[in-house]
Amino acid sequence: MSRTDGRTNGGSPAGPTIGELMAVELARRLRDDDVAVMGTASALPQIACRLAKETHAPDLWFVAGGTCGVNPHLAPAVPSCCDEDLLRADTAVPLSDVVLLEGRGDVFTVFFSGGLQIDAHGNCNLVSVGDRTRPSLRGPGTVGLPFLARVGRVLIYTMAHNPRTFVERVDFLGGPGFLDGPASWAAAGLTGGGPAAVVTPLCTLGFDPQTLRMRLETVHPGVTVQQVVEATGFELALPEVVPATTPPTDEQIAILRSIDSGGLLRGR
Amino acid sequence: MNKVLSLHDAVERHVPDGVGLLAVGGMHLHNNPMALVREIVRQRRRIRRLLTSPCGAFNADLLIAGGLVEEIATSYVGFEHLGLAPAFRRSVEDGSLRVLECDEAYITHGLNAGAGGLPFAPLPAGLEVSDVWKANPESFRLVEDPFTGAQVLAGAPLRPDVALVHASEADIAGNAVLGGAHFVDRVMAMAARTVVLQVERVVPTEAISRHPVGTTIPGFLVHAVVEVPGGCHPTASHGHYRVDEDHLRRYLALAGGAEGPRAYVDQYVRGSSEADYLEAQHATAAGEALQ
Repeated sequence: MSRTDGRTNGGSPAGPTIGELMAVELARRLRDDDVAVMGTASALPQIACRLAKETHAPDLWFVAGGTCGVNPHLAPAVPSCCDEDLLRADTAVPLSDVVLLEGRGDVFTVFFSGGLQIDAHGNCNLVSVGDRTRPSLRGPGTVGLPFLARVGRVLIYTMAHNPRTFVERVDFLGGPGFLDGPASWAAAGLTGGGPAAVVTPLCTLGFDPQTLRMRLETVHPGVTVQQVVEATGFELALPEVVPATTPPTDEQIAILRSIDSGGLLRGR
Repeated sequence: MNKVLSLHDAVERHVPDGVGLLAVGGMHLHNNPMALVREIVRQRRRIRRLLTSPCGAFNADLLIAGGLVEEIATSYVGFEHLGLAPAFRRSVEDGSLRVLECDEAYITHGLNAGAGGLPFAPLPAGLEVSDVWKANPESFRLVEDPFTGAQVLAGAPLRPDVALVHASEADIAGNAVLGGAHFVDRVMAMAARTVVLQVERVVPTEAISRHPVGTTIPGFLVHAVVEVPGGCHPTASHGHYRVDEDHLRRYLALAGGAEGPRAYVDQYVRGSSEADYLEAQHATAAGEALQ
């Protein structure tokens, strides 16, 4: 998930790649008072957090789960969340302590998530497609995604926007989103705020506050609403007007490329 | 007491055939005690149940590829950005490997419960909305919180019979320094009945005792120390060497072929002593550096 295809927007070789645009989209959703945590294959959100710190959110904290480097310096960003380069950081915490604090519920305000399947209510599945005991596809496993139920805001990202990934209902509920919608969400009485956004190579999505179903927010430059609809395996809520995603500024691109000096988001 | 053993003797003495619960340390493709794993495959020690850290990787996949694992308790087996774990995936899909579905919270807190003699690990509210515990009734129960009366999720304690853990260095008594990230390796060592340490180097006790606070695994928990420089290959050893992605891609390519992961096991593990394996990998790396 950390490497992208190097496709650029608008054809200019110096323009942002899809991966870079996605990093900017995630960064825009981070706040100065956030403490964010992320896990497996999380180069993209790590870069987004570092970008946010170096622009609008200098007091943001982020923990690269695995090594649990706190505010890792990156430059270069690395594809594995367990790489010792992530210990070039402000500090580091043992993973068992981060797991403990994830349970506290009031420490981490943002959790990044993804999945083999992501459904209309933002539930995520990394375990299996089909029957779990004889799956048609066995995924790696759910890692820390059940903690999504306790976190302030969940930011979902994926490099795969297609009908196999975006399904009406996950086959295995590992990372809770808005469950089966408003009634089940209210009944569960969770402390977390649920999924806040979904960033894909085609678009950025939010959630309809009434139905708690995924709703298209913006399409990335060069992508049509019809393309997004066809790539999504469930009925997507569509506002009357769907603006284009705001492209990164030259400053954002320059900072991104200094953080990601190895070019993970440029397909290198 | 000198706990240093050869790789062969450490596995022969401390990893019985049919071991009940074997825990293997390291996380993703980092600090996997691969020399111990390969030796288990060579000695064909069958494993009734394998436990990984929150993210198992080549450590688990190679034991599965060797045809040794009956059940696995895990929250993840994969090759992170390199792809899915071929032996794990194939064995679960064809029904030959049973998975006890876990999550990161249960593996961590369950090991802590094992380490502390706690009867079970109560888990934070909200985790019960996931399907994980429903898929694994053996490890999880809903119980009444005796203080509030609320229904809370509880996990059975995890007490590995044997844990295989990598450390950067240790003295002959087993006092060990983890080279980089701790992952859950310390907790795993505290929970296990028997701990076999794989280290890059054995150092004098004087060198260890200059940094007692940084020596995070005390020797009284450790039963054997095996010195294998380079022994985490092809995974990384923090402080020593990085992941050999080229080698892992060869494994993934071989495992994806008609013969499956067994082709790799026959060629690189059962067909080779550890010394020959490491020498060949060193020669390959040197050759690539010259190109």
